[in-house]
Amino acid sequence: MAKHETPLLDQLEGGPWPSFVSDLKHQAETKPEVYDILGQLELSYKDRITHWKHGGIVGVFGYGGGIVGRYSDVPEQFPGVEHFHTIRVAQPASKYYSTENLRKLMDLWEKHGSGVTNMHGSTGDIILLGCRTEALEPFFWDLTHDMGQDLGGSGSNLRTPECCLGQSRCEWACYDTQETCYHLTLHYQDEIHRPAFPYKFKFKFSGCANDCVAAIARSDISVIGTWRDEIRIDQAAVKEYVAGNYPANGGSHSGRDWGPFDIQKEVIDLCPTECMWMEGDELKIDDKECTRCMHCINVMPRALRPGADQGASVLVGAKAPILDGAQMSTLIVPFMKVEKENEYEELIEFIETVWDWWMEVGKNRERVGETMQRIGLNNFIKIMGLEPIPQMIRIPRENPYVFWAEEEVEGGFDRDIDEFRARHAA
Amino acid sequence: MPLSDDELKDAICEKAAKSPKPQLYIKDFYKCDPDAKPRKIKNVANELVREGRLMFWSSGSTTMYADPSRIQNEEKNR
Repeated sequence: MAKHETPLLDQLEGGPWPSFVSDLKHQAETKPEVYDILGQLELSYKDRITHWKHGGIVGVFGYGGGIVGRYSDVPEQFPGVEHFHTIRVAQPASKYYSTENLRKLMDLWEKHGSGVTNMHGSTGDIILLGCRTEALEPFFWDLTHDMGQDLGGSGSNLRTPECCLGQSRCEWACYDTQETCYHLTLHYQDEIHRPAFPYKFKFKFSGCANDCVAAIARSDISVIGTWRDEIRIDQAAVKEYVAGNYPANGGSHSGRDWGPFDIQKEVIDLCPTECMWMEGDELKIDDKECTRCMHCINVMPRALRPGADQGASVLVGAKAPILDGAQMSTLIVPFMKVEKENEYEELIEFIETVWDWWMEVGKNRERVGETMQRIGLNNFIKIMGLEPIPQMIRIPRENPYVFWAEEEVEGGFDRDIDEFRARHAA
Repeated sequence: MPLSDDELKDAICEKAAKSPKPQLYIKDFYKCDPDAKPRKIKNVANELVREGRLMFWSSGSTTMYADPSRIQNEEKNR
């Protein structure tokens, strides 16, 4: 495969930032088909249209996901990218890799594919870009048999579950995100590898409301660690922060002089529910008003810790903006124990109730959050067998989308309008 | 009364063979047996793929099912 003239792409190497064009040129020195990626992309820039054909029947035997078919629509000009399928490889929990594993994976990809990768896709998978159809099965065999690794999800499957570092490194994780992610990945192998739903479905597990995997923005079911008792306060450490002896935010803003620490300005005034105050030199928190946002804990980690009665909030319905625009998850279960001891029974029951309903009611290519929006949150929570709570409503009394049903109102909706108007003129 | 697994398989294959479009969403098969739960339809459709009587067609974001001979023809002409 010959090198192509790429004057438009070459401009992308001009800035001070890393350039994928430079990376591809480097890769083409050992994998000449990569010259054809550059050539086809240059042509797309000229024609202002993609030259990729998307989708197809490619896959590996027994799996209905993990491979995304991609072909060139100008294969005569660029034979190196005639087939250029994408492979999704499931990432280890929290993306803990050994260098040995990464080297083996890259060797495998150099052997069977183009060597081009995307670390990582938005679901967290390792994305391997560029494989011919006939190389898919040999790659899959080596991946699963030699490396003990598996493909991730694609299409209308459960996508590869993803989790934050959790209790492996983080003192704030309110449940074991890695264990939960691993358990559910094994529990739902069929749903990950074979299509089951009207559209894609994602789980993400964050250990606390800092939400390091952005579960609330990106997953159909977001499991976010929280606690239901009181924030644990070390008043002696509060005094140290106030005295300036402990750096705020664990020292993460220490690159610049922000002036002396001001607990009023940096913690109390920024509490979204205004549930904190000082009494003398003691910090007080009205925990029943606390929304568990983590801000105060982030600022004063040596003085404040999440409570000891820990579990997770479960939210449903986030998605990226394909059809109706981006949407965050809605809180459905404020607190749920997430425990290995009962094999995550409560969470699994919740997930399957959502699935059973969505598989029946969801339209083709409709994310569960869109189905919820279409039928209304009031109907959704009835289906889930839950009572409405104020936390489900974004702005109470302003934009409520939990409505009373007639049978829930004493006397129904019928009123004597004349009697009402006698008291309230129109 | 729900169809037996074999009856459901035959109904799904017939739908895949005769539908105007070669690719079908899983929900398109729900009508093959309105008494069956969606999960059962999904399991039976996936079993048909294992048996080689249906094929997956994936756009990357959505997976559809197709009659193998029809979809292979269509793919050749794409």
